[in-house]
Amino acid sequence: MKIVVAYKWAPNPQDAVVATTGEVDLSRAKPAVSEYDPVAFELARRLADATGGEVVGLTVGGPSIDTPLSRKAALSRGLDRLVVVADAELEDADGTRIATVLAAAVRAIGDVDLVLAGDSSIDVAQGQVPLTLAGVLGWLGLAAVSAVTAADGGLVVERSLPGGTTVVAVPTPAVLAATADAVVPRVAGMKDILGAAKKPVEVLDLAALDVPAPGATLATLATAKPAGGERTATIFDGSSPAGAAAQLVGALRQAGAL
Amino acid sequence: MNSAQSWIVVADDTAASGLVDLARSVGDEVVAVVAGRREVASSLASAVDRVLWLGEPDQAPVEAYGPAVAAVVAQATPRTVIGATSPGGRALLGAVAAALRVPVLAGVSALEADGDQVVVTRSVLGGIAEHRTAVQGGTTVVAVDPGGAVAGDGDLAPLEELAVTPLAATVTEVRPAAVAGADLGGARTVVGVGRGLKAREDVALVSDLAAALGGELACSRPLAEGVDWLPKERYIGISGQHIAPDLYLALGISGQLQHMVGVRGAKVIVAVNSDKNAPVFSQCDFGVVGDMYEVVPALTAALGTGS
Ligand SMILES: Cc1cc2nc3c(=O)[nH]c(=O)nc-3n(C[C@H](O)[C@H](O)[C@H](O)COP(=O)(O)OP(=O)(O)OC[C@H]3O[C@@H](n4cnc5c(N)ncnc54)[C@H](O)[C@@H]3O)c2cc1C
Repeated sequence: MKIVVAYKWAPNPQDAVVATTGEVDLSRAKPAVSEYDPVAFELARRLADATGGEVVGLTVGGPSIDTPLSRKAALSRGLDRLVVVADAELEDADGTRIATVLAAAVRAIGDVDLVLAGDSSIDVAQGQVPLTLAGVLGWLGLAAVSAVTAADGGLVVERSLPGGTTVVAVPTPAVLAATADAVVPRVAGMKDILGAAKKPVEVLDLAALDVPAPGATLATLATAKPAGGERTATIFDGSSPAGAAAQLVGALRQAGAL
Repeated sequence: MNSAQSWIVVADDTAASGLVDLARSVGDEVVAVVAGRREVASSLASAVDRVLWLGEPDQAPVEAYGPAVAAVVAQATPRTVIGATSPGGRALLGAVAAALRVPVLAGVSALEADGDQVVVTRSVLGGIAEHRTAVQGGTTVVAVDPGGAVAGDGDLAPLEELAVTPLAATVTEVRPAAVAGADLGGARTVVGVGRGLKAREDVALVSDLAAALGGELACSRPLAEGVDWLPKERYIGISGQHIAPDLYLALGISGQLQHMVGVRGAKVIVAVNSDKNAPVFSQCDFGVVGDMYEVVPALTAALGTGS
Protein backbone atom coordinates (compact mmCIF):
# COMPACT_ATOMS: atom_id res chain seq x y z
CA MET A 1 0.00 0.00 0.00
CA LYS A 2 1.32 3.43 -0.93
CA ILE A 3 0.57 5.88 1.87
CA VAL A 4 1.09 9.63 1.83
CA VAL A 5 1.17 11.45 5.14
CA ALA A 6 0.21 15.10 4.74
CA TYR A 7 1.75 17.04 7.60
CA LYS A 8 2.50 20.61 8.57
CA TRP A 9 5.66 22.41 9.64
CA ALA A 10 4.06 25.00 11.88
CA PRO A 11 4.76 27.45 14.71
CA ASN A 12 3.04 27.18 18.09
CA PRO A 13 0.89 30.30 18.48
CA GLN A 14 1.43 29.97 22.25
CA ASP A 15 4.83 31.57 21.59
CA ALA A 16 3.51 34.40 19.42
CA VAL A 17 3.62 38.02 20.47
CA VAL A 18 0.25 39.69 19.96
CA ALA A 19 0.15 43.48 19.89
CA THR A 20 -2.79 45.35 21.38
CA THR A 21 -3.86 45.98 17.79
CA GLY A 22 -4.20 42.24 17.26
CA GLU A 23 -1.18 42.10 15.02
CA VAL A 24 0.60 38.76 15.45
CA ASP A 25 4.37 38.37 15.50
CA LEU A 26 5.32 34.72 15.10
CA SER A 27 9.05 35.32 14.71
CA ARG A 28 9.75 33.95 18.20
CA ALA A 29 7.59 30.87 17.69
CA LYS A 30 9.88 28.12 16.46
CA PRO A 31 8.21 25.93 13.86
CA ALA A 32 8.12 22.15 14.30
CA VAL A 33 6.26 19.15 12.97
CA SER A 34 2.76 20.03 14.15
CA GLU A 35 1.95 18.36 17.48
CA TYR A 36 -0.50 15.71 16.32
CA ASP A 37 1.08 14.86 12.97
CA PRO A 38 3.46 12.21 14.37
CA VAL A 39 0.33 10.20 15.18
CA ALA A 40 -0.34 10.03 11.43
CA PHE A 41 3.30 9.10 10.74
CA GLU A 42 3.03 6.22 13.19
CA LEU A 43 -0.31 4.96 11.87
CA ALA A 44 1.08 5.08 8.34
CA ARG A 45 4.28 3.24 9.29
CA ARG A 46 2.39 0.44 11.02
CA LEU A 47 -0.05 0.06 8.15
CA ALA A 48 2.72 0.10 5.55
CA ASP A 49 4.73 -2.48 7.50
CA ALA A 50 1.67 -4.70 7.80
CA THR A 51 0.88 -4.48 4.08
CA GLY A 52 4.39 -4.22 2.66
CA GLY A 53 4.11 -0.64 1.48
CA GLU A 54 5.74 2.73 1.34
CA VAL A 55 5.21 5.88 3.45
CA VAL A 56 5.74 9.21 1.69
CA GLY A 57 5.71 12.41 3.75
CA LEU A 58 4.17 15.42 2.02
CA THR A 59 4.17 19.02 3.14
CA VAL A 60 3.39 22.27 1.36
CA GLY A 61 3.79 25.88 2.41
CA GLY A 62 6.09 28.89 2.26
CA PRO A 63 9.87 28.67 1.70
CA SER A 64 10.56 28.34 5.45
CA ILE A 65 9.05 24.84 5.61
CA ASP A 66 11.99 23.35 3.71
CA THR A 67 15.18 23.43 5.77
CA PRO A 68 17.67 20.73 6.74
CA LEU A 69 16.08 20.74 10.20
CA SER A 70 12.51 20.40 8.94
CA ARG A 71 13.51 17.59 6.58
CA LYS A 72 15.26 15.69 9.34
CA ALA A 73 12.41 16.21 11.79
CA ALA A 74 9.96 14.57 9.41
CA LEU A 75 12.22 11.88 7.97
CA SER A 76 13.30 10.62 11.40
CA ARG A 77 9.71 9.67 12.21
CA GLY A 78 9.19 6.58 10.11
CA LEU A 79 8.89 8.00 6.59
CA ASP A 80 10.56 6.33 3.61
CA ARG A 81 10.85 9.54 1.65
CA LEU A 82 9.67 13.11 1.54
CA VAL A 83 7.97 15.32 -1.03
CA VAL A 84 7.96 19.08 -0.47
CA VAL A 85 6.28 21.99 -2.25
CA ALA A 86 7.74 25.20 -0.80
CA ASP A 87 6.91 28.44 -2.55
CA ALA A 88 6.66 32.08 -1.48
CA GLU A 89 3.24 32.19 -3.06
CA LEU A 90 2.03 29.73 -0.41
CA GLU A 91 3.33 31.75 2.56
CA ASP A 92 -0.04 32.71 4.03
CA ALA A 93 -2.18 30.48 1.86
CA ASP A 94 -5.61 29.54 3.16
CA GLY A 95 -6.51 25.92 3.85
CA THR A 96 -8.29 25.33 0.57
CA ARG A 97 -5.33 26.60 -1.42
CA ILE A 98 -3.06 24.29 0.61
CA ALA A 99 -5.45 21.38 0.02
CA THR A 100 -5.49 22.09 -3.72
CA VAL A 101 -1.69 22.01 -3.87
CA LEU A 102 -1.58 18.87 -1.70
CA ALA A 103 -4.02 17.22 -4.12
CA ALA A 104 -1.87 18.15 -7.10
CA ALA A 105 1.17 16.72 -5.34
CA VAL A 106 -0.69 13.51 -4.45
CA ARG A 107 -1.55 13.13 -8.12
CA ALA A 108 2.05 13.83 -9.08
CA ILE A 109 3.27 11.17 -6.62
CA GLY A 110 0.86 8.80 -8.31
CA ASP A 111 -0.82 5.49 -7.41
CA VAL A 112 -1.52 6.64 -3.86
CA ASP A 113 -3.87 4.35 -1.93
CA LEU A 114 -4.25 6.39 1.21
CA VAL A 115 -3.55 9.87 2.52
CA LEU A 116 -3.23 10.10 6.29
CA ALA A 117 -3.20 13.31 8.32
CA GLY A 118 -3.22 14.38 11.95
CA ASP A 119 -6.19 15.65 13.95
CA SER A 120 -5.60 19.37 13.43
CA SER A 121 -2.64 21.70 13.15
CA ILE A 122 -1.20 23.51 16.12
CA ASP A 123 -1.56 26.95 14.53
CA VAL A 124 -4.87 26.90 12.65
CA ALA A 125 -6.43 24.05 14.70
CA GLN A 126 -9.39 23.65 12.37
CA GLY A 127 -9.04 20.04 11.20
CA GLN A 128 -10.22 21.11 7.77
CA VAL A 129 -7.38 20.66 5.29
CA PRO A 130 -7.45 16.83 5.01
CA LEU A 131 -11.19 16.90 4.39
CA THR A 132 -10.92 19.63 1.79
CA LEU A 133 -8.11 17.61 0.22
CA ALA A 134 -10.49 14.65 -0.01
CA GLY A 135 -12.97 16.98 -1.70
CA VAL A 136 -10.41 18.10 -4.28
CA LEU A 137 -9.38 14.52 -5.01
CA GLY A 138 -13.00 13.34 -5.08
CA TRP A 139 -12.13 10.66 -2.52
CA LEU A 140 -13.87 9.73 0.68
CA GLY A 141 -12.48 11.77 3.59
CA LEU A 142 -13.01 10.68 7.19
CA ALA A 143 -11.82 12.48 10.30
CA ALA A 144 -11.77 11.18 13.89
CA VAL A 145 -10.04 7.95 12.85
CA SER A 146 -8.80 6.04 15.88
CA ALA A 147 -7.58 2.88 14.11
CA VAL A 148 -7.05 1.61 10.59
CA THR A 149 -6.21 -1.83 9.23
CA ALA A 150 -6.01 -3.27 5.75
CA ALA A 151 -8.69 -5.68 4.61
CA ASP A 152 -9.10 -7.32 1.22
CA GLY A 153 -9.44 -4.55 -1.31
CA GLY A 154 -9.74 -1.76 1.22
CA LEU A 155 -9.49 -0.56 4.77
CA VAL A 156 -11.32 -1.14 8.01
CA VAL A 157 -11.50 2.17 9.80
CA GLU A 158 -12.51 2.74 13.39
CA ARG A 159 -13.78 6.19 14.29
CA SER A 160 -14.26 7.89 17.60
CA LEU A 161 -17.31 10.11 17.12
CA PRO A 162 -19.38 12.09 19.63
CA GLY A 163 -22.12 9.44 19.59
CA GLY A 164 -19.74 6.52 20.05
CA THR A 165 -17.38 4.34 18.08
CA THR A 166 -18.18 3.32 14.52
CA VAL A 167 -16.45 0.90 12.19
CA VAL A 168 -16.45 1.68 8.47
CA ALA A 169 -15.38 -0.47 5.53
CA VAL A 170 -13.63 1.96 3.18
CA PRO A 171 -12.41 1.22 -0.33
CA THR A 172 -9.17 2.90 -1.38
CA PRO A 173 -8.17 5.52 -2.29
CA ALA A 174 -9.26 7.56 0.71
CA VAL A 175 -8.14 10.36 3.02
CA LEU A 176 -8.16 9.71 6.77
CA ALA A 177 -7.44 12.15 9.60
CA ALA A 178 -6.45 10.52 12.89
CA THR A 179 -7.60 11.38 16.38
CA ALA A 180 -4.95 12.92 18.63
CA ASP A 181 -4.63 9.67 20.57
CA ALA A 182 -5.04 7.01 17.88
CA VAL A 183 -1.55 5.64 18.56
CA VAL A 184 1.41 6.76 20.60
CA PRO A 185 4.05 7.89 18.11
CA ARG A 186 7.54 6.49 18.48
CA VAL A 187 10.25 8.81 19.72
CA ALA A 188 12.96 9.35 17.13
CA GLY A 189 16.22 7.80 18.33
CA MET A 190 19.77 8.61 17.26
CA LYS A 191 19.60 5.92 14.58
CA ASP A 192 16.42 7.41 13.12
CA ILE A 193 17.92 10.88 13.08
CA LEU A 194 21.11 9.70 11.37
CA GLY A 195 19.10 7.57 8.95
CA ALA A 196 16.94 10.56 8.05
CA ALA A 197 19.85 12.23 6.28
CA LYS A 198 20.05 9.37 3.78
CA LYS A 199 16.39 9.31 2.82
CA PRO A 200 15.32 10.84 -0.50
CA VAL A 201 13.66 14.25 -0.67
CA GLU A 202 11.85 15.38 -3.79
CA VAL A 203 11.08 19.06 -4.26
CA LEU A 204 8.12 19.70 -6.53
CA ASP A 205 7.90 23.02 -8.31
CA LEU A 206 4.56 24.71 -7.65
CA ALA A 207 4.48 26.14 -11.16
CA ALA A 208 4.83 22.65 -12.64
CA LEU A 209 1.84 21.31 -10.70
CA ASP A 210 -1.66 21.42 -12.05
CA VAL A 211 -3.27 23.74 -9.49
CA PRO A 212 -6.47 25.61 -10.39
CA ALA A 213 -6.74 29.29 -9.47
CA PRO A 214 -8.58 30.17 -6.22
CA GLY A 215 -12.29 30.97 -6.47
CA ALA A 216 -12.16 33.70 -3.81
CA THR A 217 -9.61 35.78 -1.97
CA LEU A 218 -9.51 36.89 1.64
CA ALA A 219 -8.85 40.49 2.62
CA THR A 220 -8.14 41.36 6.24
CA LEU A 221 -10.08 44.52 7.06
CA ALA A 222 -9.22 44.81 10.73
CA THR A 223 -7.43 42.96 13.52
CA ALA A 224 -8.02 43.02 17.25
CA LYS A 225 -6.71 41.37 20.36
CA PRO A 226 -9.50 39.43 22.05
CA ALA A 227 -10.49 40.42 25.58
CA GLY A 228 -10.38 37.99 28.47
CA GLY A 229 -7.08 36.34 27.60
CA GLU A 230 -4.63 38.13 29.82
CA ARG A 231 -5.69 38.72 33.41
CA THR A 232 -3.92 40.00 36.50
CA ALA A 233 -4.16 37.46 39.25
CA THR A 234 -4.24 37.79 42.99
CA ILE A 235 -2.01 34.92 44.10
CA PHE A 236 -2.35 32.96 47.35
CA ASP A 237 0.38 30.79 48.78
CA GLY A 238 -0.80 27.19 48.88
CA SER A 239 1.94 25.96 51.18
CA SER A 240 -0.68 26.45 53.86
CA PRO A 241 -3.60 24.79 52.03
CA ALA A 242 -6.30 25.60 54.59
CA GLY A 243 -5.22 29.23 54.77
CA ALA A 244 -5.09 29.61 51.00
CA ALA A 245 -8.48 27.92 50.64
CA ALA A 246 -10.07 30.27 53.18
CA GLN A 247 -8.52 33.31 51.49
CA LEU A 248 -9.67 32.15 48.07
CA VAL A 249 -13.23 31.44 49.21
CA GLY A 250 -13.35 34.87 50.82
CA ALA A 251 -12.07 36.55 47.69
CA LEU A 252 -14.55 34.68 45.47
CA ARG A 253 -17.43 35.65 47.75
CA GLN A 254 -16.33 39.25 47.57
CA ALA A 255 -16.11 39.06 43.78
CA GLY A 256 -19.63 37.66 43.68
CA ALA A 257 -18.43 34.46 42.03
CA LEU A 258 -19.87 32.16 44.71
CA MET B 1 -23.57 34.27 -7.32
CA ASN B 2 -26.95 34.09 -5.64
CA SER B 3 -26.65 36.78 -3.01
CA ALA B 4 -30.19 36.35 -1.75
CA GLN B 5 -29.42 32.88 -0.46
CA SER B 6 -27.64 31.32 2.48
CA TRP B 7 -27.23 27.57 2.42
CA ILE B 8 -26.62 25.29 5.31
CA VAL B 9 -25.13 21.84 4.84
CA VAL B 10 -26.30 19.43 7.51
CA ALA B 11 -24.39 16.27 8.34
CA ASP B 12 -27.00 13.92 9.81
CA ASP B 13 -27.39 15.94 12.99
CA THR B 14 -30.60 17.44 14.42
CA ALA B 15 -28.43 19.90 16.35
CA ALA B 16 -28.22 22.65 13.74
CA SER B 17 -29.48 25.81 15.44
CA GLY B 18 -26.00 27.36 15.16
CA LEU B 19 -26.14 26.90 11.39
CA VAL B 20 -29.70 28.16 10.98
CA ASP B 21 -29.19 31.22 13.19
CA LEU B 22 -26.05 32.31 11.37
CA ALA B 23 -27.67 31.74 7.97
CA ARG B 24 -30.66 33.83 9.02
CA SER B 25 -28.32 36.64 10.05
CA VAL B 26 -27.20 37.19 6.44
CA GLY B 27 -29.55 35.48 4.04
CA ASP B 28 -33.04 36.32 2.95
CA GLU B 29 -33.69 32.77 1.88
CA VAL B 30 -32.20 29.86 3.81
CA VAL B 31 -31.81 26.56 1.99
CA ALA B 32 -30.79 23.42 3.83
CA VAL B 33 -29.13 20.50 2.08
CA VAL B 34 -29.30 17.48 4.31
CA ALA B 35 -27.11 14.42 4.10
CA GLY B 36 -28.54 11.98 6.60
CA ARG B 37 -31.73 10.44 7.88
CA ARG B 38 -35.19 11.72 6.98
CA GLU B 39 -35.84 12.75 10.59
CA VAL B 40 -32.93 15.19 10.37
CA ALA B 41 -34.33 16.71 7.17
CA SER B 42 -37.82 16.90 8.71
CA SER B 43 -36.52 18.62 11.84
CA LEU B 44 -35.34 21.51 9.67
CA ALA B 45 -38.54 21.92 7.69
CA SER B 46 -40.05 24.50 10.03
CA ALA B 47 -36.84 26.50 10.44
CA VAL B 48 -35.68 27.11 6.86
CA ASP B 49 -37.27 27.98 3.52
CA ARG B 50 -36.27 24.94 1.50
CA VAL B 51 -34.99 21.50 2.48
CA LEU B 52 -33.11 19.42 -0.05
CA TRP B 53 -32.77 15.86 1.22
CA LEU B 54 -30.31 13.44 -0.31
CA GLY B 55 -32.20 10.32 0.73
CA GLU B 56 -31.87 7.68 3.43
CA PRO B 57 -28.16 6.93 3.94
CA ASP B 58 -28.64 3.34 5.13
CA GLN B 59 -25.11 2.13 5.85
CA ALA B 60 -23.24 4.99 4.19
CA PRO B 61 -21.28 7.37 6.44
CA VAL B 62 -22.39 10.98 6.01
CA GLU B 63 -18.99 11.86 4.52
CA ALA B 64 -19.82 9.69 1.50
CA TYR B 65 -22.25 12.45 0.46
CA GLY B 66 -19.51 15.06 0.14
CA PRO B 67 -19.37 15.12 -3.68
CA ALA B 68 -23.19 15.07 -3.99
CA VAL B 69 -23.58 17.98 -1.54
CA ALA B 70 -20.82 19.87 -3.32
CA ALA B 71 -22.48 19.41 -6.71
CA VAL B 72 -25.85 20.70 -5.46
CA VAL B 73 -24.29 23.68 -3.70
CA ALA B 74 -21.95 24.54 -6.57
CA GLN B 75 -24.85 24.68 -8.98
CA ALA B 76 -26.61 27.28 -6.83
CA THR B 77 -23.43 29.19 -5.85
CA PRO B 78 -25.07 30.89 -2.88
CA ARG B 79 -23.42 33.86 -1.22
CA THR B 80 -22.90 31.91 2.01
CA VAL B 81 -22.55 28.24 2.94
CA ILE B 82 -22.58 27.25 6.61
CA GLY B 83 -21.81 23.86 8.10
CA ALA B 84 -20.86 22.30 11.41
CA THR B 85 -17.39 21.88 12.89
CA SER B 86 -18.17 18.20 13.59
CA PRO B 87 -16.16 15.58 11.64
CA GLY B 88 -19.08 15.02 9.25
CA GLY B 89 -19.78 18.74 8.93
CA ARG B 90 -16.17 19.48 8.06
CA ALA B 91 -16.17 16.75 5.43
CA LEU B 92 -19.22 18.21 3.67
CA LEU B 93 -17.74 21.71 3.88
CA GLY B 94 -14.44 20.40 2.54
CA ALA B 95 -16.18 18.99 -0.50
CA VAL B 96 -18.08 22.26 -1.05
CA ALA B 97 -14.93 24.35 -0.59
CA ALA B 98 -13.05 22.12 -3.03
CA ALA B 99 -15.75 22.47 -5.66
CA LEU B 100 -15.92 26.25 -5.30
CA ARG B 101 -12.15 26.60 -4.60
CA VAL B 102 -12.85 28.90 -1.65
CA PRO B 103 -11.57 28.84 1.94
CA VAL B 104 -13.47 27.41 4.90
CA LEU B 105 -13.38 29.89 7.77
CA ALA B 106 -13.83 28.78 11.39
CA GLY B 107 -13.92 30.50 14.77
CA VAL B 108 -16.67 32.72 13.36
CA SER B 109 -18.60 35.06 15.66
CA ALA B 110 -20.49 37.16 13.11
CA LEU B 111 -21.25 37.56 9.40
CA GLU B 112 -22.20 40.80 7.68
CA ALA B 113 -23.40 40.70 4.10
CA ASP B 114 -22.89 43.52 1.64
CA GLY B 115 -24.02 42.65 -1.86
CA ASP B 116 -22.02 39.65 -3.05
CA GLN B 117 -19.40 40.14 -0.38
CA VAL B 118 -19.52 38.80 3.16
CA VAL B 119 -17.41 40.12 6.01
CA VAL B 120 -16.54 37.50 8.59
CA THR B 121 -15.51 38.24 12.17
CA ARG B 122 -13.45 35.31 13.36
CA SER B 123 -10.69 34.30 15.71
CA VAL B 124 -7.46 33.12 14.14
CA LEU B 125 -4.35 31.16 15.15
CA GLY B 126 -5.95 29.31 18.01
CA GLY B 127 -7.71 32.44 19.22
CA ILE B 128 -4.75 34.75 19.81
CA ALA B 129 -6.20 37.39 17.48
CA GLU B 130 -9.50 38.39 15.95
CA HIS B 131 -9.88 39.33 12.30
CA ARG B 132 -12.55 40.99 10.23
CA THR B 133 -12.07 39.29 6.90
CA ALA B 134 -13.80 40.06 3.62
CA VAL B 135 -14.31 37.10 1.30
CA GLN B 136 -13.99 38.53 -2.19
CA GLY B 137 -14.97 37.08 -5.53
CA GLY B 138 -16.59 33.88 -4.33
CA THR B 139 -18.86 32.10 -1.88
CA THR B 140 -18.20 32.51 1.85
CA VAL B 141 -17.95 29.08 3.49
CA VAL B 142 -17.87 28.86 7.27
CA ALA B 143 -17.75 26.13 9.90
CA VAL B 144 -19.55 26.83 13.18
CA ASP B 145 -20.57 25.04 16.33
CA PRO B 146 -23.77 23.15 15.44
CA GLY B 147 -25.61 24.43 18.52
CA GLY B 148 -28.76 22.67 19.66
CA ALA B 149 -32.09 21.58 18.24
CA VAL B 150 -33.60 24.03 15.77
CA ALA B 151 -36.64 26.09 16.67
CA GLY B 152 -39.18 26.53 13.91
CA ASP B 153 -41.88 29.06 13.13
CA GLY B 154 -44.51 26.46 12.34
CA ASP B 155 -44.41 26.99 8.57
CA LEU B 156 -43.27 23.73 7.01
CA ALA B 157 -40.99 23.82 3.99
CA PRO B 158 -41.57 20.89 1.65
CA LEU B 159 -38.92 18.13 1.64
CA GLU B 160 -37.38 18.00 -1.83
CA GLU B 161 -35.78 14.61 -2.22
CA LEU B 162 -32.84 14.39 -4.60
CA ALA B 163 -31.61 11.08 -5.96
CA VAL B 164 -27.84 10.92 -5.50
CA THR B 165 -25.23 8.20 -5.22
CA PRO B 166 -22.89 8.40 -2.23
CA LEU B 167 -19.26 7.31 -2.45
CA ALA B 168 -18.75 3.63 -1.66
CA ALA B 169 -18.18 3.00 2.07
CA THR B 170 -20.16 1.00 4.60
CA VAL B 171 -20.68 1.49 8.30
CA THR B 172 -20.46 -2.06 9.61
CA GLU B 173 -20.72 -1.44 13.34
CA VAL B 174 -21.85 1.28 15.73
CA ARG B 175 -20.98 1.11 19.42
CA PRO B 176 -22.89 3.97 21.10
CA ALA B 177 -21.06 5.88 23.81
CA ALA B 178 -22.20 4.96 27.29
CA VAL B 179 -21.97 8.41 28.81
CA ALA B 180 -24.60 11.06 28.34
CA GLY B 181 -23.41 14.43 27.08
CA ALA B 182 -22.83 17.12 29.67
CA ASP B 183 -24.35 20.56 29.65
CA LEU B 184 -21.19 22.51 30.31
CA GLY B 185 -22.50 25.47 28.34
CA GLY B 186 -25.37 26.08 30.76
CA ALA B 187 -23.35 25.71 33.97
CA ARG B 188 -22.62 28.75 36.14
CA THR B 189 -19.60 27.10 37.69
CA VAL B 190 -17.23 24.73 35.93
CA VAL B 191 -14.32 22.88 37.55
CA GLY B 192 -11.65 21.89 35.06
CA VAL B 193 -8.85 19.46 35.82
CA GLY B 194 -5.67 18.74 33.90
CA ARG B 195 -2.63 16.56 33.91
CA GLY B 196 -1.80 17.67 37.43
CA LEU B 197 -4.11 14.78 38.30
CA LYS B 198 -2.06 11.64 38.74
CA ALA B 199 -4.58 8.80 38.60
CA ARG B 200 -8.09 8.04 37.44
CA GLU B 201 -9.19 7.37 41.04
CA ASP B 202 -8.27 10.92 41.94
CA VAL B 203 -11.05 12.34 39.76
CA ALA B 204 -13.16 11.98 42.93
CA LEU B 205 -11.06 14.70 44.54
CA VAL B 206 -12.17 17.13 41.89
CA SER B 207 -15.75 15.95 41.55
CA ASP B 208 -16.15 16.48 45.31
CA LEU B 209 -15.16 20.11 44.81
CA ALA B 210 -17.48 20.44 41.83
CA ALA B 211 -20.32 19.06 43.96
CA ALA B 212 -19.53 21.48 46.80
CA LEU B 213 -19.68 24.33 44.28
CA GLY B 214 -22.77 23.01 42.54
CA GLY B 215 -20.74 23.03 39.31
CA GLU B 216 -19.97 20.77 36.38
CA LEU B 217 -16.77 18.81 35.98
CA ALA B 218 -14.59 19.48 32.93
CA CYS B 219 -11.00 18.84 31.89
CA SER B 220 -8.14 19.58 29.53
CA ARG B 221 -7.86 17.57 26.34
CA PRO B 222 -5.18 15.09 27.50
CA LEU B 223 -7.48 13.87 30.29
CA ALA B 224 -10.21 13.01 27.81
CA GLU B 225 -8.05 11.82 24.95
CA GLY B 226 -4.55 10.76 25.96
CA VAL B 227 -6.10 8.91 28.88
CA ASP B 228 -9.88 8.64 29.00
CA TRP B 229 -10.44 9.59 32.62
CA LEU B 230 -13.24 11.95 31.62
CA PRO B 231 -15.56 11.79 28.60
CA LYS B 232 -14.59 13.73 25.47
CA GLU B 233 -17.69 15.90 25.79
CA ARG B 234 -16.13 17.43 28.87
CA TYR B 235 -12.88 18.77 27.56
CA ILE B 236 -12.56 22.47 27.06
CA GLY B 237 -10.67 24.40 24.42
CA ILE B 238 -10.18 25.13 20.79
CA SER B 239 -11.12 21.60 19.70
CA GLY B 240 -13.57 21.02 22.55
CA GLN B 241 -16.16 23.05 24.42
CA HIS B 242 -16.21 26.83 24.57
CA ILE B 243 -17.82 28.00 27.79
CA ALA B 244 -18.47 31.30 29.56
CA PRO B 245 -19.44 30.45 33.15
CA ASP B 246 -19.42 32.87 36.06
CA LEU B 247 -16.60 30.87 37.61
CA TYR B 248 -14.03 28.53 36.09
CA LEU B 249 -11.44 26.69 38.13
CA ALA B 250 -8.36 25.34 36.35
CA LEU B 251 -6.83 22.68 38.59
CA GLY B 252 -3.47 21.21 37.55
CA ILE B 253 -3.85 22.81 34.11
CA SER B 254 -0.78 24.56 32.69
CA GLY B 255 -2.74 27.16 30.73
CA GLN B 256 -1.80 26.34 27.15
CA LEU B 257 -3.49 28.59 24.64
CA GLN B 258 -5.48 25.74 23.12
CA HIS B 259 -7.19 25.14 26.44
CA MET B 260 -7.59 28.70 27.70
CA VAL B 261 -9.29 29.98 24.55
CA GLY B 262 -12.26 27.85 25.57
CA VAL B 263 -12.77 29.76 28.85
CA ARG B 264 -11.88 33.26 27.75
CA GLY B 265 -15.48 34.32 28.29
CA ALA B 266 -15.52 33.18 31.93
CA LYS B 267 -16.20 36.00 34.40
CA VAL B 268 -13.78 34.77 37.04
CA ILE B 269 -10.98 32.27 36.50
CA VAL B 270 -9.18 30.54 39.36
CA ALA B 271 -6.02 28.50 38.90
CA VAL B 272 -4.41 25.99 41.23
CA ASN B 273 -0.98 24.89 40.11
CA SER B 274 2.19 23.75 41.84
CA ASP B 275 4.39 25.60 39.33
CA LYS B 276 4.39 29.32 40.07
CA ASN B 277 5.62 29.98 36.53
CA ALA B 278 2.75 28.10 34.84
CA PRO B 279 1.28 30.25 32.02
CA VAL B 280 -2.17 29.86 33.58
CA PHE B 281 -1.23 32.39 36.28
CA SER B 282 -1.17 35.24 33.77
CA GLN B 283 -4.60 34.22 32.51
CA CYS B 284 -6.54 33.96 35.77
CA ASP B 285 -8.06 36.30 38.34
CA PHE B 286 -7.13 34.31 41.44
CA GLY B 287 -4.36 31.78 41.76
CA VAL B 288 -3.15 29.37 44.38
CA VAL B 289 0.42 28.19 44.00
CA GLY B 290 0.35 24.79 45.59
CA ASP B 291 -0.28 21.09 45.34
CA MET B 292 -3.81 20.48 44.12
CA TYR B 293 -3.88 17.30 46.20
CA GLU B 294 -3.73 19.52 49.28
CA VAL B 295 -5.44 22.67 48.07
CA VAL B 296 -8.49 21.07 46.43
CA PRO B 297 -9.66 19.14 49.53
CA ALA B 298 -9.02 22.23 51.65
CA LEU B 299 -11.16 24.23 49.25
CA THR B 300 -13.95 21.66 49.38
CA ALA B 301 -13.79 21.76 53.15
CA ALA B 302 -13.78 25.56 53.26
CA LEU B 303 -16.90 25.67 51.10
CA GLY B 304 -18.58 22.99 53.19
CA THR B 305 -18.14 24.86 56.45
CA GLY B 306 -19.25 28.10 54.89
CA SER B 307 -16.22 29.89 56.23
C1 LIG C 1 -4.27 21.37 17.46
C2 LIG C 1 -4.33 21.27 18.94
C3 LIG C 1 -5.54 21.41 19.56
C4 LIG C 1 -5.63 21.32 20.94
N1 LIG C 1 -6.85 21.49 21.50
C5 LIG C 1 -6.96 21.46 22.85
C6 LIG C 1 -8.21 21.71 23.48
O1 LIG C 1 -9.24 21.94 22.84
N2 LIG C 1 -8.26 21.66 24.83
C7 LIG C 1 -7.15 21.41 25.62
O2 LIG C 1 -7.27 21.39 26.84
N3 LIG C 1 -5.97 21.17 25.03
C8 LIG C 1 -5.83 21.19 23.67
N4 LIG C 1 -4.63 20.93 23.11
C9 LIG C 1 -3.51 20.52 23.97
C10 LIG C 1 -2.83 21.69 24.63
O3 LIG C 1 -1.87 22.22 23.75
C11 LIG C 1 -2.11 21.24 25.91
O4 LIG C 1 -1.23 20.19 25.61
C12 LIG C 1 -3.07 20.77 26.99
O5 LIG C 1 -4.11 21.69 27.18
C13 LIG C 1 -2.31 20.60 28.29
O6 LIG C 1 -3.16 20.02 29.26
P1 LIG C 1 -2.82 20.18 30.80
O7 LIG C 1 -2.72 21.61 31.13
O8 LIG C 1 -3.82 19.37 31.53
O9 LIG C 1 -1.44 19.43 30.94
P2 LIG C 1 0.06 20.00 31.15
O10 LIG C 1 0.37 21.05 30.15
O11 LIG C 1 0.91 18.83 31.25
O12 LIG C 1 -0.05 20.73 32.53
C14 LIG C 1 -0.20 20.08 33.76
C15 LIG C 1 -0.04 21.14 34.85
O13 LIG C 1 -0.30 20.56 36.10
C16 LIG C 1 0.59 21.10 37.04
N5 LIG C 1 0.69 20.15 38.15
C17 LIG C 1 1.30 18.95 38.17
N6 LIG C 1 1.12 18.37 39.36
C18 LIG C 1 0.37 19.20 40.11
C19 LIG C 1 -0.14 19.15 41.43
N7 LIG C 1 0.07 18.11 42.24
N8 LIG C 1 -0.86 20.20 41.86
C20 LIG C 1 -1.08 21.28 41.08
N9 LIG C 1 -0.62 21.37 39.82
C21 LIG C 1 0.09 20.34 39.35
C22 LIG C 1 1.86 21.31 36.30
O14 LIG C 1 2.64 22.32 36.92
C23 LIG C 1 1.35 21.73 34.93
O15 LIG C 1 1.26 23.15 34.82
C24 LIG C 1 -4.50 21.04 21.72
C25 LIG C 1 -3.28 20.89 21.09
C26 LIG C 1 -3.18 21.00 19.72
C27 LIG C 1 -1.87 20.82 19.08
